[in-house]
Amino acid sequence: MIKINKPEVEAELRRFVGAEVYLHSEATSFVFVRNFKVLVNEALIAGEGGSYRVALRFDGHGWLRMEALTHYEVDGQGRLLLAGYDDRGRMHVALHAGKEPFPE
Amino acid sequence: MKTSDSKRKLLAVFAHPDDESFICGGMFAKYASEGVDITLVSATRGEMGRRMGNPPYLNRETMAAAREQELRDACECLGIGKLIFFDIRDKTVEFADEEALTGRIENLIRELEPDVVLTFHEKLGGHPDHCAIGKATTAAFRRSAGKGALYFITFGDAMEHPERYGYTHKDVIKVDVRDHLAAKLASFRAHRCQTEIDEWVWLPDREALAHLGNHEYFLKGNRDAPQRVYHDLF
Repeated sequence: MIKINKPEVEAELRRFVGAEVYLHSEATSFVFVRNFKVLVNEALIAGEGGSYRVALRFDGHGWLRMEALTHYEVDGQGRLLLAGYDDRGRMHVALHAGKEPFPE
Repeated sequence: MKTSDSKRKLLAVFAHPDDESFICGGMFAKYASEGVDITLVSATRGEMGRRMGNPPYLNRETMAAAREQELRDACECLGIGKLIFFDIRDKTVEFADEEALTGRIENLIRELEPDVVLTFHEKLGGHPDHCAIGKATTAAFRRSAGKGALYFITFGDAMEHPERYGYTHKDVIKVDVRDHLAAKLASFRAHRCQTEIDEWVWLPDREALAHLGNHEYFLKGNRDAPQRVYHDLF
């Protein structure tokens, strides 16, 4: 995982627009949702200074928005993994997008 | 070291990689050094953990494999000979089919015929996964009606004061692990992604060892059974 570079993540997010996408989304201490499948209409990133918001508009009527994202990676399977870590390596949030289901 | 005529066997049924090291690693190292045959079940791979290394080098998708390997390394440090994963997703043990889970553990007990079964207390476990695996293991132990003894693992030295939890000193086994703290420390370090945040673990050995207690405490799971000694699980 590397620190978010906004233009690069923006380009990676664009790859999922118009596609059926499987998502893993979590606020680590409170909730996770794994493998919900949506048609992504828009994929947006906002913020500056190391901490970013990402929003997905999906299925023509839905939103997923996450904040405090700090790091990202495109893994060997083309999945976009976004996460928010604190200054001691603890993860608070994660948002993963892939075109195949994540392992259950 | 004492040796026994027939091989003594211990089965531990826990929830996450690191439960075995952080809670009672000294006990495992002690009995392994005495030749006890040890089997550990980890219900999950701890893949929903929050600590991702410090600085972070893991993400949610890489965590399961990393923690599985860490647990294998920790088992080596502690002398745990056999490791079984139940492949339940971390944080969902309490939602697993209870009957199926209990049956699976019961089969394991019948197959292994352990002298000692260890698990979490179903109320004092502290984490929903701990309580759920403790409840299923306790039910499985009772059903199997084997010859062994059931004990619950406990945290730190809380059981120096068992009355606070509705127990007495007669319910507590206090195991001296002071000769096995080096192995316990090695197991902490094996769980690198979880312990990098704890600076004391990575101090020079002598200083780090001073952070580990000399005793680990276990609650009797079959309270009516006669206890010969209060410092040994066997």
